[in-house]
Order: sequence, then structure tokens, then C-alpha cells
Amino acid sequence: MHRPEPANRGSTLPSFMRLPAFLVAGALLAAVFALQEWVEVRQMSRHISFTLLLAAWGVQYLLWGVICWGVWRLLGKKLQTISLFWALAALLPLSFLLSLLEEMIWVLCFPNLPLWMPHMRYWSRVLFQLRAELVDGLVIFWCAFFLFRGVGYYQRFREKEAAAAKLEVQLAQARLHAMRTNLNPHFLFNTLNSISSLMHSDVAAADLMLEQFSNLLRICLERGEAQLIPLHDEMEFNEIYMAMQDRRFGGRICQDIHVEPELHDALVPTMILQPILENAYRHGLSHVHDTGLLKVEARREEARIRLEVLNSGIGLNPQTPRDSDGHHFGLTNVQDRLRLHYGDDQSFSICEVAPAKVLVSITLPLQLCEVPPQFLTEYGA
Amino acid sequence: MIPTILADDEILARQKLRHMLLEEAEIELVGESGTASETVNLVRREKPDLLFLDIRMHGKDAFEVVDELSSDPGFRMPTVIFTTAHDSYALRAFEVHAADYLLKPFTSERLKIAIQKALLQIQSRQSFPPALHAQGSANPYANRIVFKSRGRILFLPVSSIRWIGAEENYVRICTESESYLLREPIGRLEEKLDPQTFLRVHRSSIVNLQFVKEVRTENTGESVVILLNGQRLSMSRSYRSRINDWLTHC
Repeated sequence: MHRPEPANRGSTLPSFMRLPAFLVAGALLAAVFALQEWVEVRQMSRHISFTLLLAAWGVQYLLWGVICWGVWRLLGKKLQTISLFWALAALLPLSFLLSLLEEMIWVLCFPNLPLWMPHMRYWSRVLFQLRAELVDGLVIFWCAFFLFRGVGYYQRFREKEAAAAKLEVQLAQARLHAMRTNLNPHFLFNTLNSISSLMHSDVAAADLMLEQFSNLLRICLERGEAQLIPLHDEMEFNEIYMAMQDRRFGGRICQDIHVEPELHDALVPTMILQPILENAYRHGLSHVHDTGLLKVEARREEARIRLEVLNSGIGLNPQTPRDSDGHHFGLTNVQDRLRLHYGDDQSFSICEVAPAKVLVSITLPLQLCEVPPQFLTEYGA
Repeated sequence: MIPTILADDEILARQKLRHMLLEEAEIELVGESGTASETVNLVRREKPDLLFLDIRMHGKDAFEVVDELSSDPGFRMPTVIFTTAHDSYALRAFEVHAADYLLKPFTSERLKIAIQKALLQIQSRQSFPPALHAQGSANPYANRIVFKSRGRILFLPVSSIRWIGAEENYVRICTESESYLLREPIGRLEEKLDPQTFLRVHRSSIVNLQFVKEVRTENTGESVVILLNGQRLSMSRSYRSRINDWLTHC
């Protein structure tokens, strides 16, 4: 089955956190501050060129834009997950360092500033600038830090949403799959084929098989999507199935079903026994020419339930040629479903317990259905 | 011969049933219909004893057909066997005293059982006038049980039950040839059964006295009930005298 890979793999950084975005944000802030200072200076009735202001603020904020972008690129993911204590411990020195770096570059770009001051040496100018701008720098840095954290939260929220959607799709697929296993096509079409064949030789037998098959379909439809069903329901299905097979084998097979009374309401995965029975008929009992034996048993073992299917036939001789498709598929499917429902809290085994007798044994944790299934029982005249 | 009408809106369904009914010696097919209103008219005209009625036909459903027919006080309602492809109407069918309820597709063996039940119902109606019959149904005990088993709906006459065994929350109802597992406490079932016929012989079993051959005390001191078919059921001491009374009376 082909399923397209999601475009957003894992926690990649969101696309809007790119350098141009940082630069645009820096430029906008710079324009605002430049305009503000220009207005202030004019009110003090001094004159200053707006271009110079724009350039000074522009360089400062574009530098901060680049710095923040760099921090985001290098540390973005760490910043989102780091605890606040470590954030303070590690980032406080970093914030001072970056502010210093920014001012050093800025001072290099504007050797004639500050205005209206006697000429100063480079380091004096850096110090002057730091005194005026350090707090601003720290504020910018920490604002960016909290912005990054916020982006992190947003991202995780989106990822959770995506994961939930994905899970829903998987669930729907699992349900579809379950519906298919509830009535596997192999069994469905084999039965139809048997009926088709009987129509030529024995109309009454074809009719009976159709009736039994309808009963099976009815049971399956009524079960709907339930994955775990009371053993009683599961056995009802198997009884019909075994009665159908019995016809095909001309009553040669001695069938024995025993379920301990307290287990009628025990929950088992739907259609867990049918593939095992099918396997017993196809690979064991079909090789028996006189009377065969098929025994189905459900026993309680403390807090567990043991389901066993014993059949006579040809044993498990590996040299015996078998259909490659059917044999393993059915039982693998049973094992997969057991694992899916119970994890490691289940067991499945198949072995030859006596010459030419094969025993399939399953154990599950015992769970009784709490809400008794609705049965239609009514008394009347 | 039982004059019979079959009503179904599916031509092939009618054809199948017609063929099957030709094999039945007691049945005389006197008409067929494909819609609800046609059925009402046909039944009023032909006054059959037996009606095979498909539940979902064009126009009205089968229960409306039954209502319409039985609303006429002078008209004697035929015995009805419902046929349907979908089974959520079984209880309603049971309530209107249908003889049986056939889920399509059904085999001729299943049809024979339904016809036997219908014949019994027709005979009992002929031997009891309707007024007496109504009195008879005031009997608090069940004459039949409806339940679902192995994808089928069964209208089981209690007289065909040989014995009943409790299996925790379930009961196993055994008839001559089959056993059915129902989710029903044995106590509730016991209440519904006529104690003249059905006797609780043990915490976990009820027998139909009609099928009891003898009561025996084994060498071990254990009492057992032996049924006509040889089936042995163990019996509690406290029930011993009741069953002995019954055995001496008959």
C-alpha cells in the first residue's frame, strides 16, 4: 500500500523563521525608532539628517536581525526545550557578549558618531555606545528568546494536531483491515465456489450451504466493528463453520466442542479460531481417509483462558508438500492479531502432540465482557 | 389441503417458494401477490388458512397488512409465516402470533418445520373457538420462546424442549436433535415454564417430564433422572419426592 510521506518530517523549523523575515522585522523596528528620534531631536530644535538616523538605527537593527537569525539557526531547537534556569545561566552571558559584539560592529560602521561630541577613540566610543544601548540590546535578545520559545510551543501544538490526524487515519485503516479479517476473502470466495459446484451435483446441499453461509454473514454484519467479542459469539460462528465443513467431509470427522460454562462471556478477538480451524481442515483433515478428529476446547487457567484446537491428519512433517500461500498466512494473521491486542501477554503455539495429531494452543488474559450482549429472548403464547 | 397464499415483491423469491411448496403435500397454493394492497385484497377474497408474508414489500409493510386484515371483525385471520431477508422484526412477528419467521435464504427442511408449526396452529384454532383460544392465551406460562441462535431466529415450542442445563449466565436448551445456548438465567426461564410439565431437578437443570423415562438411585446413592433417549441428569435429593409424585400419577 502506498502512503505519501508527510511533507513536514519531524520537527523541522517553520518556514517563516528565515533570514529575510528577520531582516524585514529589523528594518521595520529601525524605521520606527529612527522616526521617533528624528521627531524628538526636532522638538529640541536641533537639526539632524533623517538619512543618518535611518542608517544608524537600520544598521543596529539589521545587525540584531542577523544575530537573532544566527541564534535561531544554531540554537533554535535547544532554546525551545531548555529549562528556564539553564536558559538564564547560559544565555545571560551570551546576551551580554552578543550585545557587545553588535555595538563593536556598529561603532566600526559609524566612526563619526556620536554627534556633537569631541572625537573619541574606538574603545571609548564602544563603551559610550554600550552605556546607552546595552539595555536595549538585552531587551531585544530576550524578546527574541521568548519569541523562539513561543514558536516552539506553536510548532509542538501543530505537530500534535498532525499526529492526531494521522492516528485517526491509521485507526480508520485498522478498522477496515479488521473488517476484512472478520470475513476473509479466501473463505468467502471458497464458500461461494463450493456452492457453485454443489449446484451441479446436489441442489439440496447447495441450498443448505447457502443458508448456513447467510447465517455466517448475518452474524458478521451484526458484530460490526467489535474487535473483542464474547467467546459464545465466536463459538456460534465456528459451529456454523464446522457444520458447513462437516457436509463437505461427508460426516467423516468427529467434531467435539467443549467450552467451560464460565467462559461463555470471556472476551476473545473476533475470528481468532476460524483461521485455525480452516488450517486444520485444509492441511490436516483433508488428508484423512477414514474418520478424522477435530476438537475445540476452551479452558480457564486461573486468570487466563486457553483455547485449543486439536486435529488429526498428517502431523507437522516439514517434508510434506503444502500450499505455500494458505498455511502460513492464516496463522500469521492470528499471531499478529494476538500481539496487537495483548502485546506479550499472550501465547500461541503449534505442535505435534501425538503421531499425526496437531495441537494449536492460545492463551490470553481472561477478561469477561461487562455489558452482556443483547440477546433477543422472549416468551409467549 | 391447506389453502395458501404467498406474498413477496421479489419475483425470484416467489418462484423459489412456489417450487418448494409444490413439494409439500399439505399445501395448496391458491394465489400469489407482489404488493401489500394486492395481498390484502387477495386474502379477503380467497380466505386462505395460511399466508407466507414478506415483511418488506412496496407500499405497506407486513405488519400493516396484518393490522388491516385483523381490523375486520368478521374476517378469520389466516395463520402467518413471515419471510424476510433482514431480521430486526422477529419480536413483532412473535407478538402478532406468527407461526414462524423465516430468514431468506432458507432450505426446504427449514420450510417444512415452519409448515408443521403452522399446521399445529391451524388445527388448534379449528378445535378451539376464538373466545376459548383467547382464554387459553391468558395462561401465564410460555408456549414458545423466540431467540436467536447461530444466525437464525427460532420460534421454539416449549413442548419440544427435553431438558435445560445452566451454564453460568447461560442456559443450554436441548431438543431432540439440537442444543441452543441462550444468555438467560435458568431461574427466569423456570418462571416462564409450566411447572406441570417442566421440573427443576437440580440447581443447574430443568427437565421436561414428558421425556422422563425413570428416576433411579445409583449404587453411589446419587439420584439420576433418565430421559427417554437415555440421557442421564443428576438430581438433587430435595427434588426427589416431587418427581416421584409425578411418576406415580401417570
